[in-house]
Amino acid sequence: MNEKDIVLSVKNLNTSFISDRKEIKIVKNVSLDLKRATTLAIVGESGCGKSVTVHSIVKLMPKNARVKADYILYNQKRGDKITEFDLSKLEPYGKEMRALRGPDIGMVFQDPMSSLNPVYKVGDQVAEGLLEHNPKMSKEEAKEQVLAMFRELGIPDPENRINDFPYQFSGGMKQRVVIALAMICNPEIIIADEPTTALDVTIQAQIMELMKSLQTEKNKSIILITHNMGLVAEMADEVCVMYMGRIVEFGTLEHIFNNPSHPYTKALLRSVPVLGMEEGRLLETIPGITPNPAELKEGCEFADRCPDCRDECRKGTIPAFEVEPGHKVRCLNFNSFKEVD
Amino acid sequence: MTTISKAAKGKSSSLLRKNIKKFVNNKLAMVGLIFMIIILFSAIFAPLLTQYEPAKIDLKAKSVAPNSEHLFGTDKLGRDLFSRILYGGRVSILVGVVGAFSGSLIGVVLGSIAGYFGKWTDMLLIRLSEVFQTFPQMILILIMVTILGPGLSNLLIIFSITGWMTTFRMVRNEFMALRGETYVKVAEAFGMSKSSVMFKQILPNVFSPVIVATTVNIAGFILSEAGLSFLGLGVPSSTPTWGNILNAAKSIEVISNYWWMWVIPGVVISIFVLAVNFFGDGLRDVLDPKQQ
Amino acid sequence: MLKFIIKKLLQMIPMLLVISLLVFIGLELTGIDPLSYMVSPDMAGSAENLERLREQMGLNDPLFTRYFRWVSEMLRGDFGYSIVSGTPISQIIAVRIPATIELALLALVFSTIIGVGIGIVSAIKQNGIIDYVGRVFAVVGQSIPQFFFGIILIQIFAVSMGWFPVGQRISPGGNWSRIQHLVLPVTTLTLSMCAVLMRYARNTMLDVMNSDYIKTARSKGIPEWKVIIKHGFRNAMRPVLVIICFRLPMLIGGSVVIESVFSWPGIGTIIASSVIAGDMPVIMVTTLMVAASILVASFLVDVFTALLDPRVRLGD
Repeated sequence: MNEKDIVLSVKNLNTSFISDRKEIKIVKNVSLDLKRATTLAIVGESGCGKSVTVHSIVKLMPKNARVKADYILYNQKRGDKITEFDLSKLEPYGKEMRALRGPDIGMVFQDPMSSLNPVYKVGDQVAEGLLEHNPKMSKEEAKEQVLAMFRELGIPDPENRINDFPYQFSGGMKQRVVIALAMICNPEIIIADEPTTALDVTIQAQIMELMKSLQTEKNKSIILITHNMGLVAEMADEVCVMYMGRIVEFGTLEHIFNNPSHPYTKALLRSVPVLGMEEGRLLETIPGITPNPAELKEGCEFADRCPDCRDECRKGTIPAFEVEPGHKVRCLNFNSFKEVD
Repeated sequence: MTTISKAAKGKSSSLLRKNIKKFVNNKLAMVGLIFMIIILFSAIFAPLLTQYEPAKIDLKAKSVAPNSEHLFGTDKLGRDLFSRILYGGRVSILVGVVGAFSGSLIGVVLGSIAGYFGKWTDMLLIRLSEVFQTFPQMILILIMVTILGPGLSNLLIIFSITGWMTTFRMVRNEFMALRGETYVKVAEAFGMSKSSVMFKQILPNVFSPVIVATTVNIAGFILSEAGLSFLGLGVPSSTPTWGNILNAAKSIEVISNYWWMWVIPGVVISIFVLAVNFFGDGLRDVLDPKQQ
Repeated sequence: MLKFIIKKLLQMIPMLLVISLLVFIGLELTGIDPLSYMVSPDMAGSAENLERLREQMGLNDPLFTRYFRWVSEMLRGDFGYSIVSGTPISQIIAVRIPATIELALLALVFSTIIGVGIGIVSAIKQNGIIDYVGRVFAVVGQSIPQFFFGIILIQIFAVSMGWFPVGQRISPGGNWSRIQHLVLPVTTLTLSMCAVLMRYARNTMLDVMNSDYIKTARSKGIPEWKVIIKHGFRNAMRPVLVIICFRLPMLIGGSVVIESVFSWPGIGTIIASSVIAGDMPVIMVTTLMVAASILVASFLVDVFTALLDPRVRLGD
């Protein structure tokens, strides 16, 4: 695997929001790599900055946000030709960035109920991106492609359904439309921000299967944001665990599940029901609440809720340590290992 | 128990301090508050600020332009305009404040009735509020003036019954939202009285938006009073009000020759209403940040 | 769609009946002798004559019979007579409605263009210069008494500069004079309406631009102007149109003071002078007209909503 097989590489991403003339840091020094044709899961409780991280990467941020990064490199592969883009240098709504949205990066958002414009037919909404990026394409051709995509995603009766409005679809079907919308330009990367949170469990499974098959059959790279460890186990190749805007642990799926090291990751795993769990074992909750990002003190963000908290944990910034090759943990319990960045 | 309530108290007072700080930082709102206070206090303490009687006719000093003796000049009957504006402010502000507060009170009561009883009571009151809301306020006021006749007390009644709709909606919607809340249902299941749970929750919840809506109404009613008195349908012209003073501007002769008779009272009304509106906006930013 | 329109039109009939009944009862309650407004003053005469007329016209019949007779007379265009001037009310209204509608529609058009335009721009460039100036302007516009603003305009542009006439609607001089007469009252009315519309358009647009489907639209990579117009404005239009439609009755009723300032011979001045003179029949009929304009406005709202929102258009 050479370095060009890393399709997206983010270095030291920092995002903050200006509120009441104060700057509140939401994402702190996040660096991550997405390998081509794999799934990277970003997990954490709500409010830990996982959504903000990906939105910062694709530059879909509200005006009061400040995004800084050393680089956000995207390696576009067209046939054998590889072109490199630094997203951090592009204008958020400029021509170059827009050209990448759709044909290179597709987004699936959390709530299918509100992600579709209520006043347009779903077929037109899916075709809109296609027509935008292929100016020569006729409406008929676009319609054919949309129909093909609907069929592929298992939307029944596509010929009639493309003329329906979003309110005529169920939640699961709507999310398929949203996925169609993200996939229609055949992007390299799909960023799915809690794609199944708003759906009920059986539909969740269908949607995730669909995404998994898209990924394996078409060699897509996926960033999956979720707080559901069950989904992570099914979908992910690599896992980032985030807490209060920092990546506290990173590793392959096996690293994270077989050798969870950060106290937060351990707690997170203990709080998920797993099949085959011993009888009588209680599900644990993580004590305490996520702190307010505006009132964070120095040191480890997890210190107040950590069972192993020591005095050193409350000082400075905690570095990351490599506990095994490719498995990094930001915790002083592992300071005997090699420090990495 | 005591420590918890103490902590809660500490928290709420720090929230109050934070809100006050936020308000003070809002320059327009502060300027509004200062102007409001200045005009209000000058009206209240009018006898200390001027020795002229507002109604005293002085035929020797008719239509005098502003000078050191008559700060704002005199009107066509020789009455001192500075004094008339101060005394007129008492009535105009009173009409606005009392009208707005009693309107809000009606709104709170009707809103509670609609929200608490629901069903057809709610339907009926909602329809009624819609009729009141879509009917142009000025027409509504005029119809009632025809029925009740002009006059200060009638004006107060009319303003109260034309200014209850916003508050009514807020209180009613708050009730409806709470009805669906699980904890209300749970409290009910435990045999607690639903009404006491709801009332305890609702009134503090709607307090802030109701105050904001009331300030907006104060401003609106002062303008309505001015408009009505300008038409000659408000407070009888023997009582000075800002609108009655401006009534002079109905004649083109006054408009072209005696600017002080209409520019000064007009500017005073505008400044006061502007101050109330800026103050209300600031209040909304602090108390009710959801709806800007 | 046609079925929808017909359904909505039919729904207006019971509403009109209820409102007219209320107006009729109100008229009854004033205790004014119906003869004084139902018969042209020339036809009246001695007391016996009046009594005979009363019997002839069925004024001693029960309330509902009289109500339906009153309604059918109105439908035939007979609104009765003013008790002050003795002129038929239909005549008074026929002269004044065009004047008020002319004023109201022009003000509506201008304030919509200016108010919605500035509102949308301030929403897109939130906290920018236009937004800030617009917000201050909106509060100022809502704080100056309309008639005071009108008088200022008269003083500056009519009295001092002499560019426009002081009042009235038409003086000899044809179309040009007509426009000259319109400028000041339309400007006054427009200013006071702009303020509200601006605020509303801005807040609606802000809401829409913060919604998820705007993010979806942006994630497709379409240009920002398309996002704003096609996805933003298209969705903000419906609530804004609702407000604009409901401005129509406000304009007709709300122009009472403005019409008085400019001696504009419209419905507003007739309402004001009737209230002063206690001319109940005229007040009641004009009230009925305002009520009818509200129904028309809400009908327009229904039609626009149906046109703009597929849920309403296609649902049942």
